[in-house]
Amino acid sequence: MATDTDTGTASAEGFGEVSRVRGIIFEYLSLGASVLGIFALAVLLVYVTIDAFDLTNASPEWLLTYFLTLVVPFLAFCLYSANDRELTRRAAGVLGGGLVAVAVVFTAIEAFVTQIPRLSWQLAYLFVVVFPLTGYVTYVGSSGRVGGVGFGLVGRLIGGTAIGLALAVLFLVFDARLWFLAYTLGIVPALASYAYGRFRERPGASTAAVPVGIVGVLVAVFLRPVIDTYPTTAFIYLWTLAIPIAAAGALVVGARGSRTEAIAAGGVPLALATVVGLFGGILGLGVGGPNALLVIAVAGVPTAVYLQRVFDAGDGVIGLGLPVLLVVGALVGALVVEAFGFPAPDPWIDGSFITEAPSRTPADAGLYPAIVGSVIIIAMVAVLSFLLGVGTSVFLEEYTANSGIVGALTRLLQINIANLAAIPSVVYGLLGLGLFANLLGLGYGTAVTVSLTLSLLILPITIISAQEAIRSVPDDLRRGSDAMGATRWQTTKNVVLPEAFPGILTGTILALGRAIGETAPLIMVGAATTVFSAPNSLFDKYSAMPMQIYAWAGFPQADFRYGVVAAGVITLLIILVGMNGTAILLRNRAERGT
Amino acid sequence: MSNTESSDSLITTDVETGSDEHAVAPDRTAVAARDLNVYYGDEQAIDDVSMEIPENRVTALIGPSGCGKSTFLRCINRMNDMIDICRVEGDVEFGGKNVYDADVDPVALRRKIGMVFQKPNPFPKSIRDNVAYGLKIQGFDGDVDARVKESLKGAALWDEVKDQLDSSGLELSGGQQQRLCIARAIAPDPEVILMDEPTSALDPVAASKIEDLIDDLAEEYTVIIVTHNMQQAARISDRTAVFLTGGRLVEYDDTTKIFEDPEEQRVEDYITGKFG
Repeated sequence: MATDTDTGTASAEGFGEVSRVRGIIFEYLSLGASVLGIFALAVLLVYVTIDAFDLTNASPEWLLTYFLTLVVPFLAFCLYSANDRELTRRAAGVLGGGLVAVAVVFTAIEAFVTQIPRLSWQLAYLFVVVFPLTGYVTYVGSSGRVGGVGFGLVGRLIGGTAIGLALAVLFLVFDARLWFLAYTLGIVPALASYAYGRFRERPGASTAAVPVGIVGVLVAVFLRPVIDTYPTTAFIYLWTLAIPIAAAGALVVGARGSRTEAIAAGGVPLALATVVGLFGGILGLGVGGPNALLVIAVAGVPTAVYLQRVFDAGDGVIGLGLPVLLVVGALVGALVVEAFGFPAPDPWIDGSFITEAPSRTPADAGLYPAIVGSVIIIAMVAVLSFLLGVGTSVFLEEYTANSGIVGALTRLLQINIANLAAIPSVVYGLLGLGLFANLLGLGYGTAVTVSLTLSLLILPITIISAQEAIRSVPDDLRRGSDAMGATRWQTTKNVVLPEAFPGILTGTILALGRAIGETAPLIMVGAATTVFSAPNSLFDKYSAMPMQIYAWAGFPQADFRYGVVAAGVITLLIILVGMNGTAILLRNRAERGT
Repeated sequence: MSNTESSDSLITTDVETGSDEHAVAPDRTAVAARDLNVYYGDEQAIDDVSMEIPENRVTALIGPSGCGKSTFLRCINRMNDMIDICRVEGDVEFGGKNVYDADVDPVALRRKIGMVFQKPNPFPKSIRDNVAYGLKIQGFDGDVDARVKESLKGAALWDEVKDQLDSSGLELSGGQQQRLCIARAIAPDPEVILMDEPTSALDPVAASKIEDLIDDLAEEYTVIIVTHNMQQAARISDRTAVFLTGGRLVEYDDTTKIFEDPEEQRVEDYITGKFG
């Protein structure tokens, strides 16, 4: 007995307690700071969304209709996919309970304290109950097989359409006829030569592919002004883009499925694109023309390939109904609203907002020229900064020596690059104005000047992050490759770059996100705040989305400052998120590949 | 003391089996070092080493850490060139030519000398691409798949991976990865294979598989292996070189001789574990 008590007290006295107060304070302060930041951003986005979609004018009947036709079926789909009874019960509980709770609390406040405007009721339902629950259920549902298939299909449809539209926008300024000649004379012979060498075991033909391609492209540049009859744009798209994409899709399917499936996966979207693109107008389909052809081909082929894969796996096929579910839900909702004459909101962001030019009246204002400008600028910045950034970082990491005079110079260069990242963007604007616009005469506010300036601006970030990624490739791998008798270039190309690629892409995505929202350097190089028609050459006067939004924010009419600006911000954010999302998907795919 | 005795007896038996397999014959020299001195900055890593390494034999380099045996190994395929502060004096002859001559391209040299490292370092590529890597960079235009199969068989890995050639080399176990690295090294058909402690990161079973493999490799290739494991050196090598601190080659002879009756007291002390 005595011994027991002794040991008991001894251990209690012997160990005592160690204070963790500072650590705990730090932990909660950091948590608070990050939550505060996210919360502030969320509140801002809620307000912007309300303005852009004119939710203040949404009637309860309108909201309820779409809730029942669109949100409830979608939730049911996700819960079916998650296939978790407990989760379903909880989701239903939260949805029902949340709606009732809001009603009870608000009724109580109204009864005892003060009247609550109808808008607040709706917002509470939407942003406190429905949106968070939908987000969570979507997340859970997407991890199930059925949900994965459904979201995969919707993602391919939307992503393909976006890429198709982006290509169409790029062809506004890049000469489709030159592309036609370069493709026909350069790329096709080069590919043919490569394929011939590959399958007939003739290495010479494969090696010849690159020179053949370069000669072909040069000939095309030379011939462009000489030839003056060209096929129509629709035919050019068909020949240079739709057919190769369909062929690639057929090859992908052919590698794992039957010949018939391969032909169907490539041929069906191609046929559809051809019919709608070339004859859509004649047949009175309402859509048609080269852009429709492009979009159908770019979105259709990956979708067809995906469908084949899903049917082949035979798992979660029912998930393919998701797009139908959403479209039917939206249509039924619209019909009901129409039939009963529910007062509907009139969102600022709609079809005409993104397809029409700016105007003096808020209701007619559009963002189209600025979207086109931004897309073209971002595409050029992405290419320029990626090539320059990767090139520089490979040179600095793999080719320069660490010691001696060269080493000292490298370190000096390194310090300068790090400092460049900290220079304000206005200064880069000044540099662009002096160097590109004035000295090189590339013009004030042209796509070339703006893209070069923005590339310079984000180049330090791209370089530093790419260097980090390259440095994180284990030295073991380099030594392994060197010991095989690989040259520095072979090691870099075959081992270092593939391994560093996801990291490089991450850095580039972040940097591009900064470039797309940049306004100050654009003002400095003389980009227009408002242009009224889409540019049709790289040397036209350009505007970009942030410039246009900035201009609207200064307009006297309140509708501009609230509604139109909000719609612009939402468009900008959607494009940004879409771009980043695509890049992140690419990166994840690259990571899985290794 | 009893410890030493038991390991001694173990060595003796194994050496006997080892020497049975490779009957002693007059050997041609594959690699030779003459008055080799290597410095890292001001520090001398190898001190005046001269030795001749016979063709189609396994030669083991043993010695305590920091004695310069890995440095010596890396002089043969000039991997020391990668280290900025490293300076080499003297000759290393390979195929009758000093590899440090001005007209020798180290990249071309390394294509004739394979190397296997301490830690398995397969590339993050498929098994097939790993083995075919040397062929690809050397512009090999024959039947790559046949060569891949042959090399994997040569590395005693074919039966384990023949159904998963397209899966990543990183999915293999540590021992399999090391054999993959050996397959990668022998695929371009080099003349010499350098191994820098190839089993020290592996478990005993995987290590013994690699040891068996090294024995087979010596029929076609000259194998030079650095090891910390005395029993391993005794089991697999025909010739053994003992380096001691300061980068000096203290004794170099037939393995049986080194382990049974070394000339130098220091070598005996090191081998029996009294020193090192």
